Amino acid sequence: MKTAIAKGFWDMLPLNLAVIPWGILCGSLAVQSGFSPLEAQLMSLLVFAGSAQLVAIELIVGNASLITILVTTFIISARHFLYGLSVRHKLIDKPLKWRLSLGFLLTDELFAFSHHRRAYQGKIRLVYALVAGGSFYIAWNIWTLIGVVAGAMLPDLTQLGLDFAIASIFIALVIPSITNWPTLLACLTSAISIVVFKLWHFELGLIFAALLGMSVGYVFESKRGEK
Amino acid sequence: MIKIILLMACVTFTTRFLFLSKRLPFSIGPRMQRFLSFSAPCVLTAIWVPIVFVQEGKLAISLNNPYLIAACVAVLLAYRFKNLYITTVVSLAVFFLLKL
Repeated sequence: MKTAIAKGFWDMLPLNLAVIPWGILCGSLAVQSGFSPLEAQLMSLLVFAGSAQLVAIELIVGNASLITILVTTFIISARHFLYGLSVRHKLIDKPLKWRLSLGFLLTDELFAFSHHRRAYQGKIRLVYALVAGGSFYIAWNIWTLIGVVAGAMLPDLTQLGLDFAIASIFIALVIPSITNWPTLLACLTSAISIVVFKLWHFELGLIFAALLGMSVGYVFESKRGEK
Repeated sequence: MIKIILLMACVTFTTRFLFLSKRLPFSIGPRMQRFLSFSAPCVLTAIWVPIVFVQEGKLAISLNNPYLIAACVAVLLAYRFKNLYITTVVSLAVFFLLKL
């Protein structure tokens, strides 16, 4: 059990550190945009979704309507449907407390550690996921708090290039999982399509790039199975 | 403001929890399972690739792009060592050296 807690903590630590600039930005931008400190912190405590928070703050500053804010939040968050669907068979027979807590914590970052065939199977692996996801939640809220309290004194850290840290962590997680041709072709398809979608500024690009890659992987694996 | 925050929280929580709810009575067959088994590698790829290849809305395939060079190093390290810390620490060091 101790090993599971330690592994959850150490596995998530690089991501906890890599998101420091954006966590601080969520706090400082909210306060500078007229949120009270409590409201700024509640956003990270309850919404807990970096890109959705940042975009929503900008929309609120621009006096966007409530429905615009909610629809935009929905579009940015829609990728989580895919995460929930992907881990459903692993979690659906678990008690509600596990599904509620891990569901709440199911960010891009936690999903990145959910790929293992036996992820979420057994108490130890559930505790591991809870520690990994929970440490990300705590870190995100500490960075937000720092932004709320000291944001005005800090420079904009998002220009430092820590976005490369996020890229390198995801590279470190995805490359070892490419162990056969269908997965390689799936990833290449997603890679090419996400670049095209980004250049088109297509907001749902992440989901469609993932679905395209998954389809290619599915087709090639099915063909391989027939031989 | 509190109302907006609470409603946003409902939206993000719903997108995460919906398919973990037993109220949705369906089970995932072997074909769907096979399709979904590619979701994590594809999503992770779709998150990191644009950070490296797209800068300020434009394709940035150039030797002057430190993201690209350091990402190549990261891919090689990840392939060779399969270790989260080796890959991130070394490639991040390469990245910052290139940016100096």
